[in-house]
Amino acid sequence: MGFFAPWFLAGLAAVGIPIWVHLLKRHKTDPKPFPSLMFFEQREQSSVRHRRLDYLLLFALRAAMIILLALLFANPFIRRPIAAGGGNKITVVAVDRSFSMRAGNRLQQAKDEALKAVGNLKPGDQAQVIALAGTVQALTQVVTDPEQLRAAVVAIQPSDSRASFGELARYLRTLADAQKLPLDVHLASDLQKSAMPPGFADLRVNPGTTLFFHPVGDPAPNWAVENVVAPRRVYDTKRVHLQAVIAGYGTPAAKRTVTLVLNGRTLQTKTVDVPANGRGQVEFLGLDAPYGFSRGEVRIDGGDVLPNDDRFLFSVERADPRKVMFVDDGRHPRAELYFRAAVDSAGDGAFTVEDQRPESAAAATLSSYPFIVLSDLGNVPQQLENALQNYVRNGGSVLVALGPAAAVLPRVPVLDEPIQASNYAGREGDRFLSVTDVDAGHPALRAVDRFTGVKFYQTIRVNPMKSRVLARMNDGTPLVMERSIGEGKVIAFASTFDNVANDLPLHASWVPFISQTALYLGGGGAEQPVNLPVDSYVELRAANASGNDASGAAAEVLDADGKRLLSLEESVKATNFLLDREGYFEIKTASGRRSLIAAHADRRESDLAPIPKETLDLWKGTGAVDTSSTGGAGGASTDTERPWPLWPYILLLLLGVAVAESVVANRYLRPSVQEKEPLKREAA
Amino acid sequence: MQRFLDPMVLAGISGLDLVAQTVVDGFVAGLHRSPDFGFSQEFAEYRSYNPGDDLRHVDWNVFARSEKMYLKRYRGETNCQVSILLDASRSMRFTSHKIDKLEYARFLTASLAYLASLQRDAAGLVVFDDDVKQFVPPSTRQGQLARLLHAIEKAEVGARTDYAKPFAHLREFLHRRGLIVCISDFWEKPQEVIKTIAPLRYHGNEVVLFHLLDPEEIRPKVKYPVLMEDLETGDTIEVSPDYVAKEYPAKMDAHMEELRSEAKSNGLDYFMIDTSRPLDAALREYLAIRGGRM
Repeated sequence: MGFFAPWFLAGLAAVGIPIWVHLLKRHKTDPKPFPSLMFFEQREQSSVRHRRLDYLLLFALRAAMIILLALLFANPFIRRPIAAGGGNKITVVAVDRSFSMRAGNRLQQAKDEALKAVGNLKPGDQAQVIALAGTVQALTQVVTDPEQLRAAVVAIQPSDSRASFGELARYLRTLADAQKLPLDVHLASDLQKSAMPPGFADLRVNPGTTLFFHPVGDPAPNWAVENVVAPRRVYDTKRVHLQAVIAGYGTPAAKRTVTLVLNGRTLQTKTVDVPANGRGQVEFLGLDAPYGFSRGEVRIDGGDVLPNDDRFLFSVERADPRKVMFVDDGRHPRAELYFRAAVDSAGDGAFTVEDQRPESAAAATLSSYPFIVLSDLGNVPQQLENALQNYVRNGGSVLVALGPAAAVLPRVPVLDEPIQASNYAGREGDRFLSVTDVDAGHPALRAVDRFTGVKFYQTIRVNPMKSRVLARMNDGTPLVMERSIGEGKVIAFASTFDNVANDLPLHASWVPFISQTALYLGGGGAEQPVNLPVDSYVELRAANASGNDASGAAAEVLDADGKRLLSLEESVKATNFLLDREGYFEIKTASGRRSLIAAHADRRESDLAPIPKETLDLWKGTGAVDTSSTGGAGGASTDTERPWPLWPYILLLLLGVAVAESVVANRYLRPSVQEKEPLKREAA
Repeated sequence: MQRFLDPMVLAGISGLDLVAQTVVDGFVAGLHRSPDFGFSQEFAEYRSYNPGDDLRHVDWNVFARSEKMYLKRYRGETNCQVSILLDASRSMRFTSHKIDKLEYARFLTASLAYLASLQRDAAGLVVFDDDVKQFVPPSTRQGQLARLLHAIEKAEVGARTDYAKPFAHLREFLHRRGLIVCISDFWEKPQEVIKTIAPLRYHGNEVVLFHLLDPEEIRPKVKYPVLMEDLETGDTIEVSPDYVAKEYPAKMDAHMEELRSEAKSNGLDYFMIDTSRPLDAALREYLAIRGGRM
């Protein structure tokens, strides 16, 4: 018998508590003063005897509870001998098929090792074949048919996912718990160091699980295109900057030739010096992309063991600057001027501003605008408001600025939040308000630097009941609020865009605020990156509270060959799509937005350095029961012992004792019938 | 008003005179009597005027209507002598709530003294335990009430109770017949108590026994076997809850009943007061039993 956590046995010292309560404390009973003892008689013997009996039973139960509790935490076990022969263990054959296994013929070597392990099985041995990548895929059930196992091993194909030994360990723990049998695990892998989980504890396997490593491939130098930074959209091809990072893993210093390819056409070629085991950066200026989506690629010259990471896919979209509708009733002429200047100052020239009056805006086709700005309109014509609400529900975005004209409104137009009051910074109090709280993680406010130095003289106090507050003034007034409505979103700014109600347009935070907000709103829907690693998820529709899309519109995913990747049911229900391989994916979300996503393998797979032997030994040690129980490949048939935990029985016993203690204590503490009678009389 | 007469509220009033006024004035007002006229000022009869009679007692209203002079006579024109015996033994320190028996007895004594002073009776006080601790002779002199209240205020718990000495002392100083009020918890055999007190009755005095008991003394609440300690002797005894719940109440009831019957058979008035009761209610009940006489 042993204990998994023997330190908890120190809790047995707590038995002293009932000893103190029952045996020591009662002797210190303070006498109860009473005016006269003339009517009392000595009944000590009977009462004390009765009390002692009760005390002893209670004491025994309470002491037993504490002892059982300490034992429960100490988690005792007994060793039960189990035969390690044929049907009393499961052999798991795991084959790594991650991206790095594409190097040389590593996958083939791994499959050969796996076939060897299957060949060593004895007739009647239970085994399972699993494939390891981003997740663990069970290719067979636990079977005894070697042919089925061999066929599963042969059918394993390489993937572009990243291996995770943490996932493997988790799967092995689950399997051991479910089958309640010891496992012999044969792992055929290149044992990449980068596949280790962040914490060693995640590698733990259950006692009785024996790991056998079959390393394949040798450490080899490898260059890779580690990253490419390209704009999502291109408006002016001459103003495009494209950066690529070339990394070397275990490599000597070398020059690499980097080529920029767009839609299969080589645009530029450059040479970069990559230091030994380091990184080099190369920058391409200008990207002559045609209108629409383009498939880009940055390549380096080959010559290493893993050619698949010598190219990095990306996608760009060439588009004309889009018109933003700025609805203004002429009350704040400088607002339009400042807004236009900020939009024009943004580097990529994605938007142009078109000024409209409320009357003409109602008649315009709103869906052709990426987003619409309402500059302190006051009463919005009903026709325009209805059109704006439909526009937002269908994926459009609106930026609402509130000023003196909004002070008389009951609710914020489109945002539909109640307006409480207008805040004026008077001469007698604070001369101005400032921003104290900013959600700096929000895309629209990422570069505003907390609106430092900006003075707000007038703001509209809105009660944000359904909206998220992104920035708040020092008096608690929400300054920037966002609300998602349908597929679209609305951002409200509780002041104006001129320099009358505030001096924001004169500060450095004005241009980043407007340009970032324009990019955020103009992108449509949840703006997701278009260059993603494999095993990432792409959002197809915004899930509502019930998890279903109210509109019922279909989403679509096409691979590089134009093949549809979603079934009919998935296209109307799926909220996400998993990028499971490298390549280009054309995505059409439920809101109708189209994008071209380029998926690339996780570059941590490019580092082919193996796990040190000491770490592997430690990992192996987590499953060892005792040193005599280890066997050779295929499993030895020596007798071994398995710890059998006793905690379920102790827990049941503890519950029983607790119930008995409650009954005895309740009986002892309950007032006698004689004591109750006077109480009843008093109540009557 | 009633809420101010709760013993715990009275305990919060700083001066005994104020406590006494609070109790008695409220009580008198409750009887719809003017506090300016005591019970002994009640009209008894008319008598024809004889030369030499004090003209102040002539009823001039009757003279105005009938042109005949009559004197108004009042019941109790002669002041009564009231002696209050206050037990200050250690057992009086007992309490199961905020007010101990001695404190309650102080309020009661002060109220009686105040009532007596309203009636212009000569009130005196004996504070005793096993000996006489304080003695204020009965008097109607000015400042007598203040003297009494001061003595009541100074009464502190002493040793054990012994009725023999104080009553012998009282007999020594008692020259006029009057009313003797004894306030005690009477933790003694009823025969012994009555044997000591009854002789006062033989001298023509009216004797009233106020038996002051805490609710816990009448029905103690004990959940576990406990060690009881006698407040006066310091003796201890371990008692069981069964005994306290079953046998003790019967003995206590028998004790009170015996005391009551012994008192009655010897011509003494007996009145049991539970210290959890409002003081004015107890006084009212007592005076109702005595037919308005103090």
